[in-house]
Amino acid sequence: MDIIESRTWIEWVITIAKFAFCFVPVLYILLLIPMERRGAGFMQDRQGPNRSYIKIPYFGKIRLLGYVQNFCDGTKLFFKEMFAPAGVNKFLYYVAPAIPFAIVFLSPCVIPWFGPMVFDWGGKAVRISGSIIDSEVGVLLLFGLSSLSAYGAVLAGWASKSKYSFLGALRTSSMTVSYEVCLGLSMMGILLLAGSFNLTDIVSWQEHHVWGIVAQPVAFFCFLIACIAETGRAPFDVAEGEPELVAGYHTEYGAMQFGLFYMGEYSHICINSFLVATLFLGGYSVPFITTETMQAHMGGSLAILCGVLAFLVLAFLHMIYRYSRKLKATNLTHRFEVLREYSLYKICAWVAVAVLIALGVCSWFFYNPENFVVNGFAVGSFATAVGTALIHLLVLVVKSVMFCWVWIWVRWTLPRFRYDHVMHLGWKIILNIALINLVVTAVVAKLVGGN
Amino acid sequence: MRVIKQRPMNWIERLYIFEAIRGLWTTLKHAARGLFRYETLPTISYPEGQPEIRNTYRAKHRLMLRPDGTPRCVACGMCAAACPAHCIFIEATQSDDPRIEKRVMRFDIDHLTCVFCGLCVEACPVDALRMDTKVISFEHRTREEFVSHLFDLTNWDPKDYPNDPQSQVAPGGTKNAEALKVWGMEVK
Repeated sequence: MDIIESRTWIEWVITIAKFAFCFVPVLYILLLIPMERRGAGFMQDRQGPNRSYIKIPYFGKIRLLGYVQNFCDGTKLFFKEMFAPAGVNKFLYYVAPAIPFAIVFLSPCVIPWFGPMVFDWGGKAVRISGSIIDSEVGVLLLFGLSSLSAYGAVLAGWASKSKYSFLGALRTSSMTVSYEVCLGLSMMGILLLAGSFNLTDIVSWQEHHVWGIVAQPVAFFCFLIACIAETGRAPFDVAEGEPELVAGYHTEYGAMQFGLFYMGEYSHICINSFLVATLFLGGYSVPFITTETMQAHMGGSLAILCGVLAFLVLAFLHMIYRYSRKLKATNLTHRFEVLREYSLYKICAWVAVAVLIALGVCSWFFYNPENFVVNGFAVGSFATAVGTALIHLLVLVVKSVMFCWVWIWVRWTLPRFRYDHVMHLGWKIILNIALINLVVTAVVAKLVGGN
Repeated sequence: MRVIKQRPMNWIERLYIFEAIRGLWTTLKHAARGLFRYETLPTISYPEGQPEIRNTYRAKHRLMLRPDGTPRCVACGMCAAACPAHCIFIEATQSDDPRIEKRVMRFDIDHLTCVFCGLCVEACPVDALRMDTKVISFEHRTREEFVSHLFDLTNWDPKDYPNDPQSQVAPGGTKNAEALKVWGMEVK
């Protein structure tokens, strides 16, 4: 539904700039690994990795709450020797780890990162889609790409010439095949309601009706379980089950080749959580507020956003101050060193609070761009569109991070299923529930009189 | 033979999903505790924070001292005889004190061989050997440094054992003066 066919330079710039979103899953790895390791630590009443540090003048050892461990791990993996065991198929062995990681850059192309930007540019109404590729097959393309990553595992298992790898690869392929079916079928209900495969349409349907999780709660659970199973993490990590298969399909890999598998897994989590958030949690849409309302009060919306962020930073500050007080009372020998480190966080956080509040106040008073109506459509200025996109993007990121946490949470809670249990759950339970859900949804939708 | 009968799962438990949610709630509580009450975590960041060790813990040895500062050991060799790891080496020599027959010239404990069973402490007839120093980490460069000699074993501070009257008798302790008076001069 292009309002006006136009290709102004701003449109080209934004279209090309959108390709930067390809790197979002890779950036999420940086977020997910510390979240996973420290989250796992906390769940097991440990502290998690918190020792690696960067030394800077005055503030001393900066550990960034355990975040520096990431860089240490990455550096270690990167500088380790790459080797291939004797008898492997050299080409496939080296190409296999690249496949899941390469898919990572392709998969995010259909996810709508923000609502369609519609704005007035030199008297013309410009419409730019929120996804990199505004495709009508949308979510099918995403599924096609993300299930390609199974090739990496299968090739790795086959090329390694190891029984463990081979068994792991077989299990991965069977898991992927089984759970792709459940994934597709449990998603069909929401597609039926929205009447489109295009993720932008699905999100806008949710924005104007209800969120998918309300409309399709059963499908949401099926989809979530199938998603977790598809990423091949605990409790569904039979493919790399440590007790019986050493490490499954990447048993024979080390160094950065293993690192690529590892990063591919985390990116897969990221993409799947984006997908869950988009399909069932309203994607980029802000809860309880329509995009039109938001655009009409752009300055206020941005001010509220800044307020929420400032509140979060203040909460962080509260935690830091509270812990500093407790730390001062202990007799740990490095407490003053740690307090010195925390003073940096305090300074940064206070600066952030000041900046956010200033930004909020400024946007409240000065960022009130005019909105126009062109050919009967509400078309804002470029400033409105950018502000809307920013809010949408942040909302989507918050939702997806929440689901990433679910992945980690489930992994460190539930014991792993036996292989036959996984297949039983996939084929006999989730598939049936998804099918029944689809039929019921179809009948109800027809009776209520949807599309 | 004792047979333990497990209660069969009821249908809610067999559905798994509710029990899984219960488990998720438990881990969420623990995660929140780590995030918001970090200092209550039971782990100790070791080199900076030391674990609390009771004085009954069998740690590194020390030799108790008489009020005049000589080791209380009479070089009877009971501890070396009791030691299952054969890590105590004693050489005796004649004592200068006429009341005491022997004194210890060499008293070595090889902490690489020691199994920290505490039998030497039990065997000592004069309560000369104790393992209450609370020193639990032994880190040295060479094997020889792991062998504690007489000087090392007697080189402790009574201020570290404020509640132990026997330790306060040693030089520097609170009861040293009167103990020295009692110990001292009437025989000589």
